[in-house]
Amino acid sequence: MILTLLVLIPSIAILIVTGWGVVEHERAMKNVTESYVLDLAQSVASRVDRPRFIHRALMMPPRSLDSLVLDMSMPGWVALVDEDGNLLAASSKAQDVLPQIWQVGVPVGRATLLKGPLGDTYTIAAIPTSQGWYVIAAVAWSQLLGPMVRFSHLWPAAVGLLAIVGMCAVWAFWRWLIMPLLSLEAEVSSLKWGIDLPKPDDPIAVWELRRLRKVLYQLAETAKEREELTQRYVSDLVQVQEEERTKLAREIHDGPLQDVTALLQRILLLKQESWSERAKKYIEIAEESATAAVRELRGLCDTLSPPWLDLGLLQALTELTERLARIYGIKVYLEASEIPDVNEDITLAFFRIVQEAINNAVKHGGAKNVWVRLACEKGYLVLQIEDDGSGFDFEGDIESLRIKGHRGIANMAERMRMVNGQIDIKSSSNRGTIILCKVLLPLSGEKSPGNAFDVGDVGKS
Amino acid sequence: MVIRVILADDHPLTREGFKSYLEGRENIKLVGEASDGESAWELIKEQMPDVALIDIRMPGIDGVTLVRRIRQEGLQVACLMLTSYDAQQYVLASLRAGAKGYILKTASPDELLRAIEIVASQGVYLDKEVAKAVEEPGFSPEGLSPREREVLLLAGRGESSKEIASKLYISERTVQTHLASIYDKLGARNKTEALLLALKYGVVTLEELLE
Repeated sequence: MILTLLVLIPSIAILIVTGWGVVEHERAMKNVTESYVLDLAQSVASRVDRPRFIHRALMMPPRSLDSLVLDMSMPGWVALVDEDGNLLAASSKAQDVLPQIWQVGVPVGRATLLKGPLGDTYTIAAIPTSQGWYVIAAVAWSQLLGPMVRFSHLWPAAVGLLAIVGMCAVWAFWRWLIMPLLSLEAEVSSLKWGIDLPKPDDPIAVWELRRLRKVLYQLAETAKEREELTQRYVSDLVQVQEEERTKLAREIHDGPLQDVTALLQRILLLKQESWSERAKKYIEIAEESATAAVRELRGLCDTLSPPWLDLGLLQALTELTERLARIYGIKVYLEASEIPDVNEDITLAFFRIVQEAINNAVKHGGAKNVWVRLACEKGYLVLQIEDDGSGFDFEGDIESLRIKGHRGIANMAERMRMVNGQIDIKSSSNRGTIILCKVLLPLSGEKSPGNAFDVGDVGKS
Repeated sequence: MVIRVILADDHPLTREGFKSYLEGRENIKLVGEASDGESAWELIKEQMPDVALIDIRMPGIDGVTLVRRIRQEGLQVACLMLTSYDAQQYVLASLRAGAKGYILKTASPDELLRAIEIVASQGVYLDKEVAKAVEEPGFSPEGLSPREREVLLLAGRGESSKEIASKLYISERTVQTHLASIYDKLGARNKTEALLLALKYGVVTLEELLE
């Protein structure tokens, strides 16, 4: 900016000064030629006024007079005309030049500027004599001032040209360098590193800037790829964890849980036989142990990945909220109306978010009431979890929470990201927390696979 | 009268255990076994038992789907769900699909026999572990008002308070009040429990739930 001004201001100054110089010079020239022509005319007129000259002029034909009176070694032409404009006498060559530049109406007594037929500039003046004649004197600028005129015109022109070239350079500089640089700067400074990309090319900019932009673009691209890789890594982590949990829960359910159930069945059968008091006591202890083992294994399955997730979103959330209400001794209000079937991924995402939200509300916020609302709005499935806990000061940056080690909310956000949904968290100290999740519903007709426990069509049969 | 029973459970050891439970009972006869949903369906069509003991989680067709199919085909078979899980939503889903009872696999032989007898005689059996809210002896539920019954049934069909309110032309707050009163009368902590207990006490019938 400043650089541009540094070039631009002197250029304009030079242009103004040069322009002024040209005008001043022109005026000075005019003055010089005017006074010269007037002096010339007046000196000739005073000579013509002498009685000797008048006498001779009357005696001799007018043409022969000139060598006596009007011959001069000074530049310019002089002519003597009578009141009707007839040429009485003229200096040498004046006869050739004067008729060309002579125009009727030349004012008497002062100098006038005229343009000759060849574009030359002349100054001309007419002075009356006592006989009623006129002495006309004229001079061509080129003749009087010679090369000075040419140079004095050339010089400001050259300087002016320079100034104009300078300004053009400034304009070019601005257009191809400063502007692209400014736009690049604005673009890069507002760039979300790892998310956005700058424009790959700016055809207006100079080659070096285009190179710079290209390099920046490549850097941004690398950052974006890296960010995506990290995101994918986090997603993979969540997904793999979920898959592992599901697998483990299934294995516990189909393996140890059934085995211990079978064991308990045998114990219960044993109990029906007649035993000594001691044996009865042992059997009782064995029954208790087996029952406890079944409960623990069931609890383990529920913690890892409850099989009742298969029931579908509403049923799974009902079961979850009822269980959590029982475990924590709080009230959880689940409100849902006309929820369409959703796929396993959304079910799982919402399930885990509600689980996490209620756990957080109770453990960190000491909430006594939690409201879980599920609704269908404009093609979106909307989940809202509100609690009356103490809340926390949330500034809106989920990533910074993750960095600080609060993985709960970051995990919720990750869950929503995996189903292409949005999450919004509103919380502040002593005002509870509201978590809002939104996910676009698949088009109707797409039935969720594997939702074997769907009970929606029972009534239709 | 001998009750004809079939058993569908994918786990061989627990199936063995249930078989032992039923052996030597003069009023019960085990007429077939299946280890997955599809073969259970074939077996039921072939044997037309009085009672089918069905595991909820089975490879192929799961228990709830199997029960729904039995009901849709109009087979006169009383289904008793066998499960390792105490999730009330499983119970509700089974009952809505048409099951007559629900029993945990950890139940004692006597409990199983009682359950079979009850469902065979068109009764409803719910495992005490599943609907165990009322444990104090001598608790008897207060009768529900007709409005409360209506509210409970609509809630049992999965309708939200808002929907119930608009159907019954009452305010949402009134629905909540009714629900609170229902919970109180039945000793329930939530809608699901209230519904299960209402079924258990005969306040509402299975048929009402199906509609």
